[in-house]
Amino acid sequence: MTLGQLERKLLVVVGAGGVGKTTLAAALGLRSARAGASTLVMTFDPSLRLKDALGVGDSAKDRAVRVKSDTRARLDVILLDARTTFDRLIERYAPDEAAAKRIYTNRFYRELAGNLAGILEYMAVERLFEVASERSYDRIILDTPPTRQALDFLEAPDRIVNFLDSGAIKIALKPWWESGGGIKGIPMRLAAKGVEGIADRLLGVRLLGDMLEFFRAFAPLYDGFRERAEQVRRLLREPETLFLVVSGPGEDRIPDTMFFARKLKESGHRVGPIVVNQVHPAVGRTGGLADSQFAEGLELFEFLGQRDQRGIESLRKLLSRGEPLVVVPLKASPPNDLAELEELGEELVAQVR
Amino acid sequence: MPVLPKLSKRQLIVVTGKGGVGKTTIAAAIARLLAAAGRRVLLLEIDPRESLHQLLGTEPSGGGIIKAGPKLSVQNLQPVAVVNALVREKVPVGILARKIVASPVFQHFAQGAPGLKEMSVLGYALRTVEGDYKHKADVVVLDAPATGHGASMLAAPLLLSDLVGGGQIGDMAKNLAQFIADPERCGVVLATLAEEMPVQELAELVALLRERMGRPPELVVANGLYPRFPEGRTGSPVTPPSDDPIRRKGGSETVRRPAGPLARSSVHPSADILELWRERRAVNDRELKRLRGIWKGPLAEVPLLPLDRGPELLAAIEATLGEELA
Repeated sequence: MTLGQLERKLLVVVGAGGVGKTTLAAALGLRSARAGASTLVMTFDPSLRLKDALGVGDSAKDRAVRVKSDTRARLDVILLDARTTFDRLIERYAPDEAAAKRIYTNRFYRELAGNLAGILEYMAVERLFEVASERSYDRIILDTPPTRQALDFLEAPDRIVNFLDSGAIKIALKPWWESGGGIKGIPMRLAAKGVEGIADRLLGVRLLGDMLEFFRAFAPLYDGFRERAEQVRRLLREPETLFLVVSGPGEDRIPDTMFFARKLKESGHRVGPIVVNQVHPAVGRTGGLADSQFAEGLELFEFLGQRDQRGIESLRKLLSRGEPLVVVPLKASPPNDLAELEELGEELVAQVR
Repeated sequence: MPVLPKLSKRQLIVVTGKGGVGKTTIAAAIARLLAAAGRRVLLLEIDPRESLHQLLGTEPSGGGIIKAGPKLSVQNLQPVAVVNALVREKVPVGILARKIVASPVFQHFAQGAPGLKEMSVLGYALRTVEGDYKHKADVVVLDAPATGHGASMLAAPLLLSDLVGGGQIGDMAKNLAQFIADPERCGVVLATLAEEMPVQELAELVALLRERMGRPPELVVANGLYPRFPEGRTGSPVTPPSDDPIRRKGGSETVRRPAGPLARSSVHPSADILELWRERRAVNDRELKRLRGIWKGPLAEVPLLPLDRGPELLAAIEATLGEELA
């Protein structure tokens, strides 16, 4: 009993918001544990229903919690929290407690660092790396935050490194605060003066002060952080890492899905099956009901069935031969318990065996 | 009081909600309703992957302002371009200044100062309605990013005006924070599906708007509702006709289906479809009820329609929303 093409150490579930990524990740996790692989599902913000189904509450926040299932191997769940992860990173790389404290209490960090675009995405992969290095699971399934701009997720490590790139920030800020601050060469100094002039005029002294303090406090952590981001980038490109792209049904979702799958490949990632989730079934044999009180509703379902079928067909055309496509029909209601979740997982796995 | 006349008085209407709930369609429908009521409307899209033009049946904006009907224009706004324009405007344009704005160092800085992009979009809207630009509008309808980012967009001026001591951005932030907080000038419309996660996120957003910003939304739109399932006279659901050997019982218990490839492409007998319909509508009803518990203000219900994304769908949603809000 294997997971077929999904038999990898690390599965990353990606896709736009509202396509059912989290439920599918949990379903696969259960199916994986059933197949005998100890499995960890890492997720951000599951619905109450899913938490109930898995029997995990807030105790799983940032901490692996065992799901009470009868599977051969164990299934654990972690609910990710970006801020806690960021805090822990700082704790790890700060040279001493005082340095860590300087960052924690910095206003820029407290108010704004958590809102930086890409932080949530980056912290997901960061935490993943942390757990993956511990090697205590046979398989890890990472559910990613919704990415309307799906590329945010992929680019997160690069962006964080760029943002923290002390070079740019130091050039922008340092000479202004420390006269004769070590920057050599007249053009550079001029450019730096220009930037700081603009920044000061636009932002005022206080924010600049806070930002400078933040980057100063961060400087000793910087090398560790940068190296870490590089390792995270590599982990996402390992042969044992497979991306599962989940799409909503309907033709208008397909271009986004294909775009993302292509970008993933171009940047050296391995893309597994594309999963079209929540597909309305094709409607047949409504003859006797055409004039009844059901007519209007059935017409809608007929349309939805055809719309989703069109979407799947156009997706099939875009995929090359051998690139698998998984179709998961819309359920009457979302999975309520472990049995229904596992059934969903099996439905998926059965198509990639 | 009906909601539409109230919305017509606003200068900025921010439409946000969880990803995939049809925010853009709702924003476009509201823009068209306001234009039909005689207001000059600018509909702003921020997502670099344009989709409004599909709905409106226009050319893509490519950053420019496109006419989309009487009194209605549409623009795909690139926040980075607005930030740069703002900097160029505030800083005397020497060769050096221009070079700096174009330099990676400055770009990092502009992206790194959080809230700057969000605020520049709001600033652009404010200046449009205040008549600072060549293109005039009475009201800007903003198709804001999905919830998380949409909330931080609304909160950005407040956050920045607290954080930034002074400077032109600080002043602008203060100004914008007042604009956003003024219920006479700025309205917030939240779009959602009547499903579990979208309603959960909506609850968080309503609380955030109320508590952190002191301004509740003006309207919540429950989009994509399945039609009501026909009920029998006794109030119990009609038993689906049995033209199908695997006929379901009348209850609402979940029906286990055989898993695997079978379920993939088989044509479903109508009793299965009725079951699916009834259950999906039951989810809608349950979540609408929960929504009502969270949100006592105006709530518009918009059905799922058998139409592809395009001008026809938009016209139908505009008509429904017009009736709901009149």
